[in-house]
Amino acid sequence: MTDSIWHLPVSGTMNGLKTALFVGLWVLLLPFTVQAGKDNVPDLSGNYNVATLTPLERPKMFGDNLYLTKEAAEKIASDKADAIEASSQVSDPNREAPPDGGDGSRGAAGNVGGYNSFWIDNGDDAFEIDGRFRTSIIYDPADGRRQRTEEAAKVRIKLFAQFAKPNKGEAWWLKTGDRGPYDDPELRPLAERCLLGFGSTAGPPMLPVLYNNLKRIVQTPDHIMILNEMVHDARIVRLNSEHLPDDVRKWMGDSIGHWDGDTLVVDTTNFKVTSSFGGAGKDLHVVERFTRKDDKTIIYNFTVEDPAVWEKPWSGEYPWPRTDDTVFEYACHEGNYALGNILRGARLLEAETESVSSE
Amino acid sequence: MSIKQIATVAGIALALCTPVQLSAHHAFGAEFDPNRPLILRGPVTKVEWVNPHAWIHLEITKEDGTKESWMVEGGTPNTLLRRGINKNSLKPGTFIVVDGYQSKDRSNRANGRDITFADGRKLFMGSSGTGAPEDGRDPN
Repeated sequence: MTDSIWHLPVSGTMNGLKTALFVGLWVLLLPFTVQAGKDNVPDLSGNYNVATLTPLERPKMFGDNLYLTKEAAEKIASDKADAIEASSQVSDPNREAPPDGGDGSRGAAGNVGGYNSFWIDNGDDAFEIDGRFRTSIIYDPADGRRQRTEEAAKVRIKLFAQFAKPNKGEAWWLKTGDRGPYDDPELRPLAERCLLGFGSTAGPPMLPVLYNNLKRIVQTPDHIMILNEMVHDARIVRLNSEHLPDDVRKWMGDSIGHWDGDTLVVDTTNFKVTSSFGGAGKDLHVVERFTRKDDKTIIYNFTVEDPAVWEKPWSGEYPWPRTDDTVFEYACHEGNYALGNILRGARLLEAETESVSSE
Repeated sequence: MSIKQIATVAGIALALCTPVQLSAHHAFGAEFDPNRPLILRGPVTKVEWVNPHAWIHLEITKEDGTKESWMVEGGTPNTLLRRGINKNSLKPGTFIVVDGYQSKDRSNRANGRDITFADGRKLFMGSSGTGAPEDGRDPN
């Protein structure tokens, strides 16, 4: 590119002027062209779609086996295609309302179901690195699973018990005497409040989720910005910097980075205690390594530690394939009717329960 | 790989992509009342192509002949936008059928558990080449 500028054929004053303007413009733009040439670091800029069907933790049946056979990987992709096809089938146009008392759906669908699969975009297959399909994103410990400390496991079970209450359309919390989960908007999960995406999509570590798996990386000599489509979370990594004082706490932690050869290393601490990630505490420490494998792929590697939560550090990796797709805005507060619906609904159920018990 | 392993892998795949017993941005169980199932039939009046979840408005005609406006919750519009579908892809006046559960706050809102055209075809789904989402089997 530069050669073509410096070797422009020049003849006459006008051409000389044009060339001077052109060169001047180029010099002005130089600082924004990423110093890949100057510092000999790879340019990670671009959009990436990180969706994959491979889970974070390895299903127990695979034991210490990190790799899927080609046949198993093909079956996972084929089953996904079958499931999409099945979900695309015509419904009975004369169907009646779903069952009274709930449809029995579990998890976040909470006995009322979710929505059609055409809203979902969680990948088509398991990922592969160096031609081998993986059974899990986590590769260390050898069984691909995080081991919680005894204390952390207890906390998690208690939390799960609270959220796993069956949705019967009742204000069950009035009977427990405890603070209800809908008493205050700030008791609601961070995703519901549009503060962070669910499932550690913004991280760190940054993990694939059910949809909106696009990332955009913008690189300058001093900073790396990673925009997550989900809930518009933008991480800003300061290069060759120091961590902020311990009392400065952020939703996605404080990230500093440096180049280790061709690998960008990002170190993150100073998380808020209410970080959305896996019950981690204030001492959560994440180290991420971004390595460009080829011009279409970054290998994203990470190590997570928090001695209060996990017995030992654990590490994972998966590819970030480059995409030509656009990262769309996700103005989460724009249409977040759900939070109001949830809180108003809780007030109404409470009033009904109280009026029944006073009769 | 043993038969048991294959079956489990199939189970894993199915668990990962079964349509869709998950709503992710927030728990639908917190918002909707299992004791108020409903079926809504009527023309689309408006599409709110917003995040975190899109809302499709429709007008139903009750048994006594009076009209009522409802809105049903779907997923993120970004996924559909990426596939070339936008708010104008679903025109006002299009007759749709929705089954779901009413919001706990008793407003005229429901989850769009299954949103279809009048003949039962899925909204935004169809044969290849219609602008429908790719399913991995579309010809290039």
